[in-house]
Amino acid sequence: MSDMDLVVEICGSAGEGTISAGEILSRFMSEEGYDIMSFDSYPAEIRGFGKCVAHTRVGRGEVLTPGKYSDVLIALNDIHAIGQLPVLKEKGILIYDNKPPKYHLEDQSVVGWLEPGMIPYGIPLTELSIKASGNSKARNMVALGAFSALFGIDKTSFIESVKRRYGKKKQDIIDSNVNSFLEGYTWTLEHVRKIDPFRFDGTGAAVKRDQLIINGNEATAMGALAAGLHLYAGYPITPATKIMEIMSKELPKKGGIFLQTEDEISSIAHVIGAGYAGKRAMTGTSGPGFCLMSEFTGLAVMAEVPAVIVDSQRGGPSTGMPTKHEQSDLNIALNGGSGDCPRVVIAPTQVDECYQAAVLALYIAEKYQTLVILLLDFFLSNSIKNMDHPSPPDPKYLNTHVLPDDGDLPDFKRYKITDNGISPRTIPGKTGGMFFATGLEHDERGKPVYDTKSHTLMTEKRHRKHAGIAAEMIAPHITGCEGAVDIGVVSWGSSAGAAREAVAHATAKGIKAACFSTQFISPFPEQALRDFSKRCKKILVPEMNYSGQFANMIARYMERPMERLNMVTGLPMASEDILKKIEEIA
Amino acid sequence: MPSNDHYVIIGNGPAGNHAADTLRENDGEARITILSQESVLYYYKHKLTEYIKGKTGEKELTVRPSHVYKDKRIRLRLGQEVERIDPLENRLYLKHMEIMSYTKLIIASGASPRILPSVSNFGKYLALLSSYTDVLNQLPEIRKNKRFLVLGGDLISFKFIRMLKDMGKDVDCLLYADAFWPFNLTTEMADAASESLRKSGVRVLSEDGLKAVKQTDQGFDVMTEKGHGAIYDSIYAFLGMVPNISFVLGSGIDTDRGILVDDHLKTNFDNVYAAGDCAQIYNPDIKSYWLSVGWKNASVQGEVAAMNFLGAGHVINPSPKKILNVEGFTVDTSWWEAFE
Amino acid sequence: MNTTRPSYLDEQIASVKDKGFLAYRTGELPTWCPGCGYFGITDAIYRACLELGLNNEDICAVSGIGCAGRFPVFMNVYGFHTLHGRSVPVASGVKLAREDLTVFAVAGDGDALGIGGGHLPHVARRNIDITLFLFDNSIYGLTKGQSSATTLYGQKTSSHPGGNPDSPVNPVKLALAYGASFVARGFAGEPEGLKHIIKKAIVHKGFSFVHITSPCVTFDKLNFTWKNLKENHSPIDENLHDVKDMEAAMRMAEHERFKLGVFYHDSKRLSYHDNLRELALKGA
Repeated sequence: MSDMDLVVEICGSAGEGTISAGEILSRFMSEEGYDIMSFDSYPAEIRGFGKCVAHTRVGRGEVLTPGKYSDVLIALNDIHAIGQLPVLKEKGILIYDNKPPKYHLEDQSVVGWLEPGMIPYGIPLTELSIKASGNSKARNMVALGAFSALFGIDKTSFIESVKRRYGKKKQDIIDSNVNSFLEGYTWTLEHVRKIDPFRFDGTGAAVKRDQLIINGNEATAMGALAAGLHLYAGYPITPATKIMEIMSKELPKKGGIFLQTEDEISSIAHVIGAGYAGKRAMTGTSGPGFCLMSEFTGLAVMAEVPAVIVDSQRGGPSTGMPTKHEQSDLNIALNGGSGDCPRVVIAPTQVDECYQAAVLALYIAEKYQTLVILLLDFFLSNSIKNMDHPSPPDPKYLNTHVLPDDGDLPDFKRYKITDNGISPRTIPGKTGGMFFATGLEHDERGKPVYDTKSHTLMTEKRHRKHAGIAAEMIAPHITGCEGAVDIGVVSWGSSAGAAREAVAHATAKGIKAACFSTQFISPFPEQALRDFSKRCKKILVPEMNYSGQFANMIARYMERPMERLNMVTGLPMASEDILKKIEEIA
Repeated sequence: MPSNDHYVIIGNGPAGNHAADTLRENDGEARITILSQESVLYYYKHKLTEYIKGKTGEKELTVRPSHVYKDKRIRLRLGQEVERIDPLENRLYLKHMEIMSYTKLIIASGASPRILPSVSNFGKYLALLSSYTDVLNQLPEIRKNKRFLVLGGDLISFKFIRMLKDMGKDVDCLLYADAFWPFNLTTEMADAASESLRKSGVRVLSEDGLKAVKQTDQGFDVMTEKGHGAIYDSIYAFLGMVPNISFVLGSGIDTDRGILVDDHLKTNFDNVYAAGDCAQIYNPDIKSYWLSVGWKNASVQGEVAAMNFLGAGHVINPSPKKILNVEGFTVDTSWWEAFE
Repeated sequence: MNTTRPSYLDEQIASVKDKGFLAYRTGELPTWCPGCGYFGITDAIYRACLELGLNNEDICAVSGIGCAGRFPVFMNVYGFHTLHGRSVPVASGVKLAREDLTVFAVAGDGDALGIGGGHLPHVARRNIDITLFLFDNSIYGLTKGQSSATTLYGQKTSSHPGGNPDSPVNPVKLALAYGASFVARGFAGEPEGLKHIIKKAIVHKGFSFVHITSPCVTFDKLNFTWKNLKENHSPIDENLHDVKDMEAAMRMAEHERFKLGVFYHDSKRLSYHDNLRELALKGA
């Protein structure tokens, strides 16, 4: 098998099967043993003929980023595809419709805008689609057939994959897709002279890999469901809506409750109500919705009620850029709300990590009776990766109520001061366990008190939980050179993939570099960072925000100057940008 | 004042590029577009054999990098074929279904491999190799295959055979002496060429022809008129070149074997010129048209066409006579030179 | 931490053999002003629970902020004192998670009609099986007497010493308009009648809206006083009013702003949980 690393973009209008073609390709490649990462883009506006781009990187080994530039552009719509040419690599390949129903006006054909050095392969997509299926809707499948013929993909395997995907759909739908694929495949083999060097070897493997092809929102939802989520309350907001839609479908099947609320305040209120009532509950939102929810962050921490909020960040502030990527909610996730309010913030770095992060979030929230914020972002929510079917969570993560002993009950102290900060907890229905929960400062029984001593002791108790959580946190991921290095990249959230990739490239170029990335932001792996910092001549902190929210945060753990790379492009962090910075400062 | 002129050149070889450069040097304003059927940059044809052998890299093969066109504000549209010309409306219909307008047009579309009627029945078994695109497409096969049959009907075939021998291949050559291109070989020439090829280990089949070709699992099963039978991995045909003018036919632009132009390289349309291998040029001395071949001719013609296009009134001169040595025989010619 | 509990009521409650409604009372000393109408409301709730035979531990009382927000401190059940205006969605969350519980949402006029007014239509249209006790004294008491959403036009308050320029909302009319399946009004000064209303509200399977008027003896000495309220309030004639008649309920809510009793009761409408089951059956 070759060391293939190919970025493919399929570009068309909404309704042309652009995204589904990307999905079919990703699924097939994953089945054949390749790793994939996709990051599609949809029209920002509501409907119509907006531009869609299915962007997929196919490679061997772990694919960490979707790649900034593409090797292949499949144009289902010329005008839209012209806009994707700037990200086509110097020797990129264009597959386009050379037989559209009518002539393009001058300069409205994508091939006309190719830079010299790029290779166009004209395929009569429309004509072949009509021939194979009777209409032009299957141009996407014709294009995939052409792609497969050009890149040496085993057609039988591909067709099997398409059939598996369509499963129980009507036979005529499957036929029209398969026939169109074959039409494109055969025509291309007969008529196109391949002059590029790309070729997939080893497709057609006898044993197909059965993997999930999912995005971060889906992985998060799956993790939460596996962790026994009972209630999800949500309000539609890009880019978190998908989680809500999954919950709406899946929770009732498990006897759980899904509620679409009137606003985000109501969402978090329902989560806290359910948490108080003893059920695992979660909500999902983005920055603007999190602003409303921050009304409740303090109550969850003060009344010690489990709650999980997923914040999938987008461009901000305010309504900002709903369909663009940014990592700029870190400050509000860490600090949103009044008072000293220790909460847990987990920011997974890859799609597959979202699953375990969701399990952990619900576990920690319940066991430590506190608020956990799962910080995703537009890129993580929408990027698609292949991953193994996850095994069910370890039972230790599932039932973690810290119940009172019988001895506790006669004089039940719900907010008993303990060494680890965790107090025994009853839930409604438990005889003799009744207590009063409040957002007011309170004594061990929950009674409101405002005295100096109680507030001090209770504040300390609430903060003490973090030591226990820190002991259970996922260790930071450290890659690159061992020992002393010139550049240490410290990264978080979805930028970590690009950081790891950049460090790998830098190392290959002879720069001594290493990468530290952490999913846990609060509590934070302080000692691990200090140890890492000691072996780095320079520290670079790349992140997708302007003010360096993460760099500012970690500054308190390492008193040293840091190089920063702050970008607000609205796009995922690219390894190319980090590598450039590494080379600048190395 | 910005010019509204759009000069379009069909062809990205020496004629087309020299024409484009000349136009830009003399007109800083007009839009200039080069259209090329091939999707590769302007390259040295004569280096292709060295490229196949792996002795020359892509960079050396390429005449100039793409930024040169950006610098000169020449738009290079590669991999785009003209389907037909409408000289009355000044429009080009491109094969990928785009309509393009021009104010002035230079056709420098070169020539493409010729298939002799005697072998046309076997067309689908024959590999042709005349461009960088052909090379890129066939390189893996050429490198992999061992047994070659070359239909030697032109000068390039000799070069190709040399290359194959250098690569350690087994080569048989069917020599088409009486249909040779660009001139028929005399008996002496044919003998000299055969001798030279034999010396380098090539089996030369003279005064013979293809009788039957069958595709089998082992390769192409070939039988000649004279009863020579063998199995080959590839059959390469080098049977000369013909002007590449199919897209001009029926447009109203006069053609014969090539595009007919006067000694100013102008066609029967005032704003359409032709240069290089595709042009058939009027020679007032012999009162007839001639076809020219070769890099240098094409370059000169490109420049002349461009100058005339801008109103200079230059006349194309037949090239001076040159002596050329090929495979042991000498050719004395004025109509072509430096063939590759 | 050594916190001493006031034993003021603990001992008294402990000394009563058959505790009766006192079983629902905690030992905490209510923080309301002497003479406050909320004592009467609280008593009525205790008694309703007693007569319905509810277990303390199966009740969850969720409140917001304000004088009414303190209610769960004084009720011996699972209590949750949440945020200003948010008792309704939190109570809804409790109920959605635990259908087996009896869930009360307690809100003042500021809570339910001011800051939390946006939640009312939604809990009503979802018909979530909780009971909302709206403790309405037409003033912000805890913050010392500012105008609320039910303060009269022209009424002088600490935020409008020159008279309130805003007109009050009509809580019963709102609840009816939002589609609440049980709508009633009680008065803190009529604890017996209030108890009956509360019992019906708790038993009703769906969202119950109980508007309870009360004086604020500290910050409103002129308008909603014990005297004025008593004089104006009169019971709905159950023989003349059909609780299933929405139009009649609306007319009465509009024209008879001091009527006490059940305005509207739709016992046929499915609760949220029942709706989910119904839809699941249809889907299956």
